[in-house]
Amino acid sequence: MPSNYPGFKYGTDREAVSAAKVKALESLLIEKGIITGDTVNNILGYFETEMGPFNGAKLVARAWADPDFKARLLADCNAACEELDFPQGMSGAEGEHMRIVENTPEVHNIIVCTLCSCYPWPTLGLPPYWFKDPTFRARVVREPRKVLSEFGVELDDSVEVRVWDSSAQIRWWVLPMRPEGTDGMSEAELAALLTPEAMMGVATVEV
Amino acid sequence: MFTKFEHFAATSLMGNPTEAPPRKDGHLHFDRDWEKMAFGVAIALSKQGYYEWEDFRQTLMATIKEWETTHDLNDPNWDYYQCWLTALETLLIKSGVIAAGELETQLAQLLHCKPSEL
Repeated sequence: MPSNYPGFKYGTDREAVSAAKVKALESLLIEKGIITGDTVNNILGYFETEMGPFNGAKLVARAWADPDFKARLLADCNAACEELDFPQGMSGAEGEHMRIVENTPEVHNIIVCTLCSCYPWPTLGLPPYWFKDPTFRARVVREPRKVLSEFGVELDDSVEVRVWDSSAQIRWWVLPMRPEGTDGMSEAELAALLTPEAMMGVATVEV
Repeated sequence: MFTKFEHFAATSLMGNPTEAPPRKDGHLHFDRDWEKMAFGVAIALSKQGYYEWEDFRQTLMATIKEWETTHDLNDPNWDYYQCWLTALETLLIKSGVIAAGELETQLAQLLHCKPSEL
């Protein structure tokens, strides 16, 4: 559809030029022998398969399926991580000293972060924008129920809300409640239900 | 502590909201294929030692700052990966990976050759 908005033409032209420019850059670097056709795919593959919320989802699904594993996960998250076949370095670096807290019908947990680098990347992937917003953190501490309700999580008044402040020493994340109607599901099917938000405590798991 | 270069590079961008790349559901979020390529090339070349990752970060931040001082903060043309691409071009020339004008020549060839190939 034609648009009279002056920025539109600029936008689409710029778009075409950028796409062509990146193509030109790629072919130039390949000609120079600096990269091969696979170099960039290998880099992107790392982000697509290893750096995301998959590990957290696998851990939660295993915990739902295996009560003994759940007990070990709650007692020592890093040690439990090592039971699963995760990439090297996963329980180190930013994932150091992770602790997981369990949501129950009586207690709902939510994580916040005061510093900029205390998100449990290895299990939850990259943090959403709002997570580091000081307003978000301040409001969660002051009025957690209201914030949760804005995220679509309505809690009964009898449910206690606990707020966990991650730090460089301990990076908290949440073991959500297993939803009803998932009895026959495999661990892979259960893992597919999980979102980073559920493991931060700002969402519930839906089937 | 063992950390993959890719992990280090991506997490180093996360501290500052304007510098951090778009993301969704715990993953990097790319709207267009060329963004993926520009992202991957920037990391690949630093990983191979053509420049320090910190130099890329500084160039990216300078590019974003330049945009912010010359545009309205609500300008709808703001585009993170346009800044990323500009920063990448700047640094590739500065570090001698490509010569000034080389990319334009390649681009012109690409744009002009394509119709005749079809």
